[in-house]
Amino acid sequence: MIRYVGRRLLLAVPTLFGISVIVFVLLHLAPGTPGAGGAESLRRVSGKAAEEMRRLYGLDRPLPEQFARWLGRVVRLDLGESFVDHRPVGERIREALPNTIVLNGLALVLAIGLAIPLGVAAGSRPESTFDRTSGAVLFALYSLPTFWGALLLQTLFSAQLKWFPLFGVASDAAPGGFAGFADRLAHLALPVTCLTYGTLAFVARLVRSGIVEARASDYVLASRARGASRRRAIWRHAFPNALLPVITLAGLLVPAVLSGSVVVEKIFAWPGLGRLYLDSILARDYPVILALSLLSAAVTLIATLAADIALAAADPRVRDGSGV
Amino acid sequence: MKRALAAALHGILVLVLASACRERPGAAAAAVPTAAPTSATPTPETPRLGFLDESHEGNPVDGGTLRRRLTGEPTTLNAVLQSSGPEAQVLQYVQRNLFDYDASLQLVPGLAEGMEASKDGLEYTIALRPDAVWEDGRPVTAKDAVFTIRKIADPKVPAPVFKPLFEEMTAIEALDAHRFRVRFSRPYAFRPMCFVLPILPAHRFEGQSFLKSKENRAPLSDGPYRVVSWKTQESVALERNPRYAGPRGHFDRIEFRIVPDNTTAYRMLLDGSLDEDVVDSGIKRRAASDPDFAACCRLVEFYNLDYNYIALNERSPFFSDARVRRAMTMMLDRASIVRGLYRGSARIISGPWAPDSPAYDADVAPLPFDPGMAGRLLDEAGWVRPPGGGPREKDGRRFEFDLLVSAGSEVGRQIDEMLASELAKAGVTARVRAMEWAAFVEKVDSGAFEAASLAWSAVDPNPDPYFYWHSSQCAPAGINDGCYSNPAADALMVQAREELDAGRRLEILHRLHRLLRDEAPAIFVVNASQKYAFRKRVRGLTTSPLGLYGIWPGPLAWWGAPEPAGQP
Repeated sequence: MIRYVGRRLLLAVPTLFGISVIVFVLLHLAPGTPGAGGAESLRRVSGKAAEEMRRLYGLDRPLPEQFARWLGRVVRLDLGESFVDHRPVGERIREALPNTIVLNGLALVLAIGLAIPLGVAAGSRPESTFDRTSGAVLFALYSLPTFWGALLLQTLFSAQLKWFPLFGVASDAAPGGFAGFADRLAHLALPVTCLTYGTLAFVARLVRSGIVEARASDYVLASRARGASRRRAIWRHAFPNALLPVITLAGLLVPAVLSGSVVVEKIFAWPGLGRLYLDSILARDYPVILALSLLSAAVTLIATLAADIALAAADPRVRDGSGV
Repeated sequence: MKRALAAALHGILVLVLASACRERPGAAAAAVPTAAPTSATPTPETPRLGFLDESHEGNPVDGGTLRRRLTGEPTTLNAVLQSSGPEAQVLQYVQRNLFDYDASLQLVPGLAEGMEASKDGLEYTIALRPDAVWEDGRPVTAKDAVFTIRKIADPKVPAPVFKPLFEEMTAIEALDAHRFRVRFSRPYAFRPMCFVLPILPAHRFEGQSFLKSKENRAPLSDGPYRVVSWKTQESVALERNPRYAGPRGHFDRIEFRIVPDNTTAYRMLLDGSLDEDVVDSGIKRRAASDPDFAACCRLVEFYNLDYNYIALNERSPFFSDARVRRAMTMMLDRASIVRGLYRGSARIISGPWAPDSPAYDADVAPLPFDPGMAGRLLDEAGWVRPPGGGPREKDGRRFEFDLLVSAGSEVGRQIDEMLASELAKAGVTARVRAMEWAAFVEKVDSGAFEAASLAWSAVDPNPDPYFYWHSSQCAPAGINDGCYSNPAADALMVQAREELDAGRRLEILHRLHRLLRDEAPAIFVVNASQKYAFRKRVRGLTTSPLGLYGIWPGPLAWWGAPEPAGQP
């Protein structure tokens, strides 16, 4: 097992390098140059001034040299500085990262935490009223676009009922202690709901189909024949098997925690990585885009590795067999 | 502005500006003509468009908090490095300019108390107010001004807003603690406008990298407010600067909220989290039928100097002939655009200025919408339809071109589609291509396009068309994107920037306007209204052709009336 993990980690290095090269090349091949400014730019920059800026950012150098310089810095854990505000890229990411992790992490935990009991309940009595109703509701949720859901939630719970705040991470005059914590939770309620329902629907249906399939299998029937209760047969025997695809899926969902959600962050004025990513792309802020791409690549690799390890722990065939 | 310039540049060239910053309503009314009549009929929901001056209404109350909206994150609060609207909105409270524009676009003194120009128009001597101080108690000196302008001219400093203004500077020196002198390589009629310029504290940047200094997130104030907090992607908060000696603002605190989404901002306005919101036409329509909005808020709508146009590239095989370009304008039904797309709140323009610019000659009527005449012009130019219809051709080449538009510009795309469908009837194919902003800008800047939908946004009232339409400024070296070139127009543009007499200069610009209407280097489309929503409690608004913000005192004159109890 240790050798397996070690090998996977070693393999991650060339993978990350390859991803960096691809992102770097694509970025420079894409039309548009840094310094063009956003649509809100105050003044058009003429040819000479634009040339001066390219030199300032080192963009007049050959591409391999630019890449080598960037890589040299990254190896020393220096992500460079933003073209837009000249602050260290690491600092800009650190500012936005906690907000994004809290929002998306909570949404993911909630989605999976709710999806499992829902899926098991629906799957253990297929075609029952509960299964049909929950199926229809989940399908509707899954098809609901996030931006629309966000506006709906805002209208209902914020503008009409005034239960939850409309925007932001905390109130201006947020109190300390428990009241401050409650204030932050209240601010989380709507955006987390928005980010949860789609994943929830998807994972719940996945768990349900896993349970339905396992329910009909010989080993579940055998356990029932041995006198195991219905509940025990489902949770002890069917559920672990239904969980396997969810683990793999979670490995793919975790990276999304970091990439943030542009739509939700924009609507709820949430200061997260999604907005940073989008703004950087629009401004062609190469160092920030590269750093964020590298970060999400690294997280994807780690999450898939973690999922594989978890899978090995959950599935004796993977653990003991030649699958490793 | 015109008058201030005339005084500055004519006669003895000594200008001692009155120290009061209040705008003069009479002058404003004279400088800002009322809306030119358009064929559009205003709908009932259209408010009165035009100049709004509440500076003498009510009894201003001091105190309270003003909550304003920023549509995006400021990238810096270093005034020299600023590049976009949100930065300018915050910095207006924090850094005073040497001079400012008032609501009638005249130059009024800010940090400076006077400007003297040499007889040859090459040297400018600026005197700073002796009572100007930084937040830390140090005086604002000529050394600071020299430091700031040298940074602007420094090739290592990206200063997109100010760099073009000092490209012709040859020398700068401090004469004493409060006076400095700048020398330029040639006289320029609109030179005084370059001193609408903020100053940075030289002592704060000593031994520091200018681009990476901590000052750029927490600037030292020499204005009426100081920055107390800046939360990334959330808010910027300002409080009074107790050391500031100039005219004070009315609010104790200014909070800027960074709210990228229009619908969220509208809801925040209704629940009182915002006092001010810039709105689009969708929100405007929604507000018009929303009783909650009517109860708490009001719409402010006016014209500024912005306009949109479709650049036609003379270097393409299609648009080198003025008859073809004129035909393009005559095939765009601008009256329907005003009625349909803008619901009446836009004005058709006939040249490269908005109607409120002094350079705009109201007597130059726009070319009519006349597809028949346009077809004849195309025939004359050799782009003929083969007998029996089909696409127009000349020398075996079909009249087919790409019409680029930024993907974010919904209105621009709709205008382009209207043009394309009219052109299709006349046997010309225009392929509307929506492009992501940075890619679009690159195409336009490099001059690698056939036609492109653009918007002109005014940061100052300078009407100098030289950079945009003179043949020496062809893209990619300059920003004459379509590479328009005409010797007669070139000559007029050079004359205008060298003519120091304001009256004669205006005559030249008006002649140029007429010529550009007929030469049609671009399809000049419309000057559309600017729309803002305010909580009713915010009073003392003044609009101007530079908008609500680009003027002095502008937002500094706003004040907050107590909101009636029970108001959400």
